[in-house]
Amino acid sequence: MKMQITLHPRLHLKPLVVVLVALMGIAFIIAVVRYANGIGAISDLSNSYPWGFWVSFDLFTGIAISSGAFIIASVVYILELEQFRPLLRPTLLTGLLGYVMEVIALLVDLGHPERIWHYFIYQNYTSFLLAIGLYVMIYAAIMAIEFAPAVFERLNRQKPVQLIRRFMKPLVIIGAVISTLHQGSLGALLLIQPAKLYPLWWTPILPLLFFISSLAIGLAMTFLESSVSSRYFHRGLEIHLLEKLAKAIPIILAVYLLIKFIQLALADDLKYLFTGGWMSFLFWAEILISVVIPMVLFSLKRIRQSANGLLLGAVILLLGMILNRFNVSWFGVQHPDPLTYMPTFMGNVHYIPSLPEVLLSMGIFSAGILAFGLAVKYLPVFEPEEESHGVAP
Amino acid sequence: MSVIQHHAFLFDATRCIDCRSCMVACSVENKIPVDKTRIWVAGVGLMGQFPNLSRASMVYHCMHCNEPDCLSACPVGAYTKRPDGPVLYNPNKCIGCRYCMNACPFGVPHFDFDKGLIEGAFIDKCTMCPQRIDIGLEPACVATCPTDALMFGERAELLSYAHDRLAAQPARYINHVYGETENGGTSYLILSHVPFNELGLPNVPSRPVKEVSEEVMGFTLPLAFGWGAVLTAVAAGVHFYNQKKEADAKKPAASERPAEGPQ
Repeated sequence: MKMQITLHPRLHLKPLVVVLVALMGIAFIIAVVRYANGIGAISDLSNSYPWGFWVSFDLFTGIAISSGAFIIASVVYILELEQFRPLLRPTLLTGLLGYVMEVIALLVDLGHPERIWHYFIYQNYTSFLLAIGLYVMIYAAIMAIEFAPAVFERLNRQKPVQLIRRFMKPLVIIGAVISTLHQGSLGALLLIQPAKLYPLWWTPILPLLFFISSLAIGLAMTFLESSVSSRYFHRGLEIHLLEKLAKAIPIILAVYLLIKFIQLALADDLKYLFTGGWMSFLFWAEILISVVIPMVLFSLKRIRQSANGLLLGAVILLLGMILNRFNVSWFGVQHPDPLTYMPTFMGNVHYIPSLPEVLLSMGIFSAGILAFGLAVKYLPVFEPEEESHGVAP
Repeated sequence: MSVIQHHAFLFDATRCIDCRSCMVACSVENKIPVDKTRIWVAGVGLMGQFPNLSRASMVYHCMHCNEPDCLSACPVGAYTKRPDGPVLYNPNKCIGCRYCMNACPFGVPHFDFDKGLIEGAFIDKCTMCPQRIDIGLEPACVATCPTDALMFGERAELLSYAHDRLAAQPARYINHVYGETENGGTSYLILSHVPFNELGLPNVPSRPVKEVSEEVMGFTLPLAFGWGAVLTAVAAGVHFYNQKKEADAKKPAASERPAEGPQ
C-alpha cells in the first residue's frame, strides 16, 4: 500500500506570486543598468575580485542543485526501478529550470553575452570553462527532450512521445555521463588556482568530491522540491519513495567524508584544520552542516519517515553543501594582497556583494520558481505518466 | 644585430627610482586611456630606522610566462603565446568571462568593469609592445627608463647577466632571479634587495599552475567513454535480468491464469 501524506498549504499563492514578479522586475531593471553602464555599475566585482556572488550562487550552487535530474532519471531508466517514476518529472523540471536560470545568469555575468556563440567556433580544449559551457548547453538540451513528453501529452500528440520514449534509455545514459562530467568540472575550475585556493579545499581530486557531493545534493533537492510541492500544490508526498532514497544519503556522505580526510592526510594538509583561523572555521562549519548533521539525521528511521524530518534534513544538507560551494569558489580563494601592489584603479580591496548583485540572482531564481509553478499548473508534471505500452485513457 | 629568439625583460629593483615614466610611456605608446594602465609601480613604504631609511619599488606588468595559465584557462582561445616571448590577447574572441584573471597567479589581466555592452568591456594587459620589438626597438617602458632598472633582450643572455650581477654584488641583492623558474619560467626577470613578496610578487612554484588542470582535463574523454560503457552495461544487465524474471514469473502462472482478460 502506498503511503500518501497530504499536507495542507501553509501559504496562499497569490502574495508569493506578486513578490516573485516584483523581484523579477527589479532584476530586469538591474540587468538593463548592467548592460548600459558595465558590471561595475551594479556589482562590487573588481579587478581584485573578478568572480563573486554570481559565480558562487548561480553557477556553483545552481548546477549542483540541478543534479537530482540525472540521478532520478538514472534510477528509473538505467536501474529500471519504476516505482520512482512519480519523482522523475518534477525532478527533471527542477533540473531543467536550474540550468536555464544558470544560462540567464551567465548572460549577465559575461562581459560579452552577445558572443556566446564563440563557444562553438573558438574552442580551447585545455579550458574547463569551455567544457562547462558545452556541458550546460548539451545537458539542458537533453533534459528538455527528456521532459518534452509532458508537453506533447498536454497537446495530445502521441507520435513524438513514442519517438522520444524509444530513445529514452540512450538519452538518459548520455545525460548521466555529461552530468557527471559537468558536476566534476565545476570543481575542476579551481584546479588552475592552486596558489589561490586555500589548501583545505584545493586538491587535484576536487572534481571527484564535487561529483560525490552532487549526488547527495540532488537527492536532498528532490526531497525539498517534493515537500514544498506537496504543501503548495495540494499533492501527496511520496514519502515511501523518498525514504528509500534517503537511505543512500548517509552512505554517500560517509564516502565523501572519508575521501576528503584521506586526501587531506595524504597531501599533508591536516595541519590547516586548526591553524587556518577563519578558513579552518569555515571548513569545520561546512563539514558539520553538510556532512555530519545530515548523516546523523538521515540515519534515523524516524526522520526518514516523516515529512518534516526529510525536509529538515534536506535543508540542512543543502545549506551545508552551498557553504561548501561558496568556500571553494569564493571564501577560500585568497586574492593577492592589494595593499602591496594593486593600484587604486584596480578597484576594491574588499569584496562584499552589492545589493543589486544579490537582487539580480534573486530575480532570476524567482523566475525559476514561477516557471516551476506555471509548468505544474499547465503540464502533467505530477500526474501519473501514461505507460508506453498501456492504453491511453 | 642577431634576431632575438626569446625576448625578456630584466628588472632591477635596486635601480628603480619610482619615477613612473614607464607607465606614461606605455600609456602613450599603446593609447591607454588616462584612467587605466598596463603597468603599475608597486612599492613598499619607508623601511628601516633613520638615518638608514630606504624604499623599494617595482614595475609590475604581465610576466609573459613560458607556460601561460591565462592561455590554458581561456575557453575561447583569446590568448596566444608567441614563440619569441609575448603573450597576446585578442579582444575579438573574448567573451568577457574573466577566468584568465582567476587563472593568472600574478593577478595581471584586468577588465573594464566600467564599460557597458555598447562601449565593450575587454581584458587588458601588457603586450610586450610587439609593434616595437618587431622592428627591433625595445618596448616603450624599457626605452624610457632613465636608470636602466628595466632592460630588454634575449632571455638567456639577461639571465646570465642577472646572475653576474648577483655574483658581483652579493650583499646588494637577494640571491635569486625571480622569474627564472617561477611558474615554469617567465619573460620578466626580477632582481631585488627586499624579499620578493614585499614587492607584491606571489610565491609561485616552478611547476606551472595550469599543469594539474590540464592533466585532469586529459581524463575527460576516457572517463566519458568508460562511464558511458559502465552505465550502458548496467542498463543492459538490469534490463535482461528484469525480462528474465518477468518471463520466469509468467511461465508457471500462464497455465493457471488462462482466463484473464486481454492485455
